[in-house]
Amino acid sequence: MLAAKLSGKVIQNINSTFSGGGVAEILSRMVPLLQQLGVDARWNVIKGSDEFFQVTKKFHNALHGRPERISAKDFALYLKTTQKNIAELELYGDIVFVHDPQPAALVTKKKELGRKWVWRCHIDLSHPNPEVWNFLQPFVAQYDAAVFSAPAFSRELPIRQFLISPSIDPLSDKNKELDQQTIDSVLAKYGIPKDKPIITQVSRFDYLKDPVGVIQAFELVRKSIDCRLAFAGGTASDDPESDKVLAEVRQRAGDNPDIHILLIPPGSDMEINALQRASTVIVQKSHREGFGLTVTEALWKGKPVVASAVGGIPLQVKNRFTGLLSYGIEGTAYAIRQLLTNPDYARWLGENGREHVRYNFLITRHLKDYLLLFLALEHQEDIIHL
Amino acid sequence: MIEWLADNWLKIAIPLLAFLATYVVGLWLRRVVDNLSRRWRAKTRWQGSQIVARTVRRPFLLWFLLLGICIAILVSVLPPEAKNMTGKATGSLFVLSFGWVAIVLSEQLLKLYLARVKVSQPTTALAINVVRITVIVIGVLIVLDIWGMPTSPLLLLIAVAVLAAALAFRDAVPNLFAGFQLGATQQIKVGDYIKVETGEEGYVTEINWSNTHIRALDESIIIIPNSRLLRGTVINYGRPLKKAKESFHFGSRTHLTELTGLKAKNLRELVDVLKRAPDAIIYYHTHHFLEQHHYLTPEPSNDFAIWVSDALGDEVLGERLASVDTFGFPNLGALRERLVAIIEEYLSSGSNFREAMPGREFHFMKSVSVTLPTAYVVHDLREFVEALRKISLGSLYFHVFESRLRLGRGLNDFSIWLQDSLDESELGEEISRLDPYTYTLEGLRSALIQLIEKRIK
Repeated sequence: MLAAKLSGKVIQNINSTFSGGGVAEILSRMVPLLQQLGVDARWNVIKGSDEFFQVTKKFHNALHGRPERISAKDFALYLKTTQKNIAELELYGDIVFVHDPQPAALVTKKKELGRKWVWRCHIDLSHPNPEVWNFLQPFVAQYDAAVFSAPAFSRELPIRQFLISPSIDPLSDKNKELDQQTIDSVLAKYGIPKDKPIITQVSRFDYLKDPVGVIQAFELVRKSIDCRLAFAGGTASDDPESDKVLAEVRQRAGDNPDIHILLIPPGSDMEINALQRASTVIVQKSHREGFGLTVTEALWKGKPVVASAVGGIPLQVKNRFTGLLSYGIEGTAYAIRQLLTNPDYARWLGENGREHVRYNFLITRHLKDYLLLFLALEHQEDIIHL
Repeated sequence: MIEWLADNWLKIAIPLLAFLATYVVGLWLRRVVDNLSRRWRAKTRWQGSQIVARTVRRPFLLWFLLLGICIAILVSVLPPEAKNMTGKATGSLFVLSFGWVAIVLSEQLLKLYLARVKVSQPTTALAINVVRITVIVIGVLIVLDIWGMPTSPLLLLIAVAVLAAALAFRDAVPNLFAGFQLGATQQIKVGDYIKVETGEEGYVTEINWSNTHIRALDESIIIIPNSRLLRGTVINYGRPLKKAKESFHFGSRTHLTELTGLKAKNLRELVDVLKRAPDAIIYYHTHHFLEQHHYLTPEPSNDFAIWVSDALGDEVLGERLASVDTFGFPNLGALRERLVAIIEEYLSSGSNFREAMPGREFHFMKSVSVTLPTAYVVHDLREFVEALRKISLGSLYFHVFESRLRLGRGLNDFSIWLQDSLDESELGEEISRLDPYTYTLEGLRSALIQLIEKRIK
């Protein structure tokens, strides 16, 4: 019924990459589902040079609150690439749904085209670098609405702001049920024996995910409990920094046979799924996090989770209720120890976590929220009768 | 002539006497049969007994007349050819009269039973014609056989036709017989509320020769083959209950969370925003936890209480805010006043000037509700309780929580409908007295179903 109300409208999604990272993953699921519901949803990406993506990576880090040196030349390159994309990209949507900062300035075309424009921010904007935010804010203010993943990410803006959490697809390769044979074969492929409890973090090789901090926390746990660490990560085409981080992580891990640093190629969703399912505890020790879909995936698999209280993670991990929140390396190690030594408690947290995801973070809820968002653009009132 | 009669009177008298004797026996037998039939009809409750007695009585004497003629000719001195011809003729007449009786009898019985299962007029006519043709064909075959004419080609033709018909109607036949059985046993009648094991349910609106029609809760008509009703398990709740003056249309509700950009880091800021916050903000922070964690927490606190306890570390005020009974307020304005009064009273005692750590501020949000109709429409308590089992939790939430406080109706929608449209004031009141905030949504659904089932019984 909600979809029928959008009949005749074209929803044009625009982001910076078709693969790698949470945004592309969500869109690759969301767009076909919207189409199946009869909504004319389409997806385009902007083009940019490596330099452009290095600049947007700096923007990304800076918006997450990391110190970055951004020069006037960087801003100029961003604007130049935006103008090039405006010239080359056909903006045909009745609702132009722009994801993240890379294509955010496309909205300058709105004055000419009209229509409804929505900016979907997947980034933790709670402590943005003022220089970058002040640069982007005038663009964001031109949109009809902005969407954030957590309340703390919202900014003072003259436009309506909505809270929509991202989601996972329970039927995707990354989240579907797997048999023990498949799980064992993936462990064997990556040379991970099943002899000890496995602590896992799945995330890109990115400073914001604090991979070195994860190793330090593991080493603290390892002093009293025999276990293994699996750090499984990949890279994204719009993240030029990941190779450097990977090298640092490998160096920090040294030749410890209980630490497994796994570079997972893109598209290995089932392997990620198997690693998560094989884990005893799943960790997400990020410094900053947009929403933390890897946490959602872990909770969905009924695994006890220890995660930093950043970004959208507190929305998912209700401390001592659906998982454990931590604030530092020692706290993370303490929480992991608690779970390893209390398997019944760990199981209870895992079960609660799965229920929490079932009701709040599956793609069906996400899909419904997007439909409501598109409808809300036409209504200003608080109660909409359809 | 007189001389011939004097010579042959015996040849005439014997057949005549035989004929008269047979006729008299026929008269006597009809009386006996009449008596037996009267007793049988008095004993049996079968409605068809009248039809059988009436139909068979009429040709009874005719059959004895024919028998008398047949016997008279057999004992006469007529030549064998003539006797043979007469025997065949009377035999044929007997077959034809018997066929006529069979047709009349089956027509009347069919009309009786097909009317019971509410079969349409054209279908009844079709069934009668099928029986007529069958009896006529059988009669003709027998007559042909009596006259010594070959019947094999005709039988073969009929067999082929019957086989073709059987193949064409192989699915319809079991349903037809099941329809007869439903009509005869009266296990399911038009007007009953039934639930089939495969999930279909609703009021029976029609039972015809092949299907049973039921009106589902979304007012769609479900057509179920009769044979399935006999094969599977069917719960029959019986006749309809009292109809409501106005039907109840179940709605549903979903919502989008809007960020307001307003935030508070201490109690003073919290209460300042609370005083001027629109109802949508008050509603969101006193209800969203209920929806988000309905499966785990029977009695959720409001967001203000949780924030004061967790972020400001003030368990005392947190408890006071958590104990605010949302159910006790007729509207959101009154609820806001109470929350503000508690915080201001606490502030005036100089108890709390703590500030939340950066990142732990209270973010004010509001709920943009989208209400939408569902397919469920109910007209009485049976339909109402069955719909309650099926509606989404969003729908239940809408009628119990949203309508009472947010849409300002004062009562939940169910109680209003029960009292105003169904004159079920007592049940409506019982439901309105349930504090829905003390249940999980599934628990609330069960409690409502229990109350209504008890009332139906």
